[in-house]
Amino acid sequence: MEKVCVIGAGSTKYGKLQDSITDIAIQASVDAIESAGIEPKEIQAGYISNVFGIADKQVHLGPVIMSDLGIPEVPSLSIESACGSGSVSFREAYANVAAGFYDAVLATGVEKVTHTGTEWTTTYFSYCSDFFYEGGAGASFPGLFASMARAYLAEFKATEEDLAMVAVKNHDNGLLNPKAHLRKKITIDDVMKSAVVASPLKLYDCCPFSDGASAVIICSEKFAKEHTKNYIQVIGSGRGGSSAALQGREHITTIPSTKIAAQAAYKMAGITPKDIDFAEVHDCFTIAELVDTEDLGFFEKGKAVEAVRQGMTRLNGAIPINPSGGLKSKGHPIGATGIGQIVEVFDQLTGKAGERTVKDAKIGLTHNFGATGASCAVHIFKSV
Amino acid sequence: MQAALFTYSKVYNLLTKEEFINSAKEGKVLARKCTKCGHLHLVTTYFCQNCGNKGFENVFIEGKGSVVTYTIITVPPDGYEKYVPYAWVVMNLDGIDLRISGFMSNIQSPVDLPLGTRVKIVGYDERGMLIEKL
Repeated sequence: MEKVCVIGAGSTKYGKLQDSITDIAIQASVDAIESAGIEPKEIQAGYISNVFGIADKQVHLGPVIMSDLGIPEVPSLSIESACGSGSVSFREAYANVAAGFYDAVLATGVEKVTHTGTEWTTTYFSYCSDFFYEGGAGASFPGLFASMARAYLAEFKATEEDLAMVAVKNHDNGLLNPKAHLRKKITIDDVMKSAVVASPLKLYDCCPFSDGASAVIICSEKFAKEHTKNYIQVIGSGRGGSSAALQGREHITTIPSTKIAAQAAYKMAGITPKDIDFAEVHDCFTIAELVDTEDLGFFEKGKAVEAVRQGMTRLNGAIPINPSGGLKSKGHPIGATGIGQIVEVFDQLTGKAGERTVKDAKIGLTHNFGATGASCAVHIFKSV
Repeated sequence: MQAALFTYSKVYNLLTKEEFINSAKEGKVLARKCTKCGHLHLVTTYFCQNCGNKGFENVFIEGKGSVVTYTIITVPPDGYEKYVPYAWVVMNLDGIDLRISGFMSNIQSPVDLPLGTRVKIVGYDERGMLIEKL
């Protein structure tokens, strides 16, 4: 297998955006291309992740983006894997470069849904669940994670205030990220007093519905060295699956696909969780960050709560989690999120993260899943 | 109801979801028992998750058990507005290693439904599988 690198990264601001789905996808793609210092014609394939293109009247986004980049002849693949679409798309791009099919490819993730309103998004997002058993019995996405949260709080004697601490921490980080959707300092009290969406989760336990696009240029090590000194290397890539419905899992408070994907990525990289300097994890809801950091092996089962209480996951903590602000504060444009995490790792490891830079970081991990973790991808990167 | 032996076919796929819904209306869960290793699955599984076998026999399980976890939905998906607040519940079925989830009406607050509460399946309609307290 070829060694694979990321040599360019770009992102729009996340939030409520006015431009069309195609326009924001192009903005992020052009930023990534320019940051890599390459020409569009050097791109040999496009991997485009998106879930609800239908909401902005454009599906089959790949050829549209490639055409707008002036390379209509270049093949593309449009990928949907719910909220995990971005990382799954990255994995396909990675695998094709690693296999030697391509020297350099573009992976762009995009979502444009905020104009549809909360009812549309709540309803359509529920189609990402195992609909026969979950969405089709009235479960919303906050409801599914709320069910995980209730089980977790009971099993590990944690409190709703503990969950709130995750939101407060991620908002603190998001304040330092100019591209974050919710740039607002919040307190535990703010979270506790926010409206209940699906008990025990309240509005401030939930990430926002966001618009946004992120893009990266993925290439062989040879191509990277020929073009730039400013790149990072992919040292681990893992994927996993879980029962699509929560009822089919042995434990409600763990996500099997995360463990499977992480173990594969750690094995490929030849490292352990202790070697990770920081991680961008899938905190679609506060409870998810606790479960994720345990399943990724940063903390023992049930111990993430104590770690959060002690500030271990803060920007200056032992293992900073979501320095970008995470899905919670940076925002969650679902098709773009997995790519956006990689943009953050690229920025962190190439000295572009500004005030939110994780000190002395050399190795960063991204963790992104679809639905309640039915599908998952984990990637590990190192600076060169 | 009598257990019948099936093999995989497209016709079989179509029939069983309907049978599953009909059995829920009678308070039962239609499950599939692997003819090779005995592992139990819900009807939407076509190969044994334990041994990979594709032979199953239908088993009708009494729809009684206890609450594993749940949420109370206050911001609902389309079609559920008139039921708010309601609970979406995951329950353990008695005596076997199988869980099922569904809709429960008239739950206002967590004090109404402590974890472990005894519950039963009472039907199936446009809200999905219907669960009530025993």
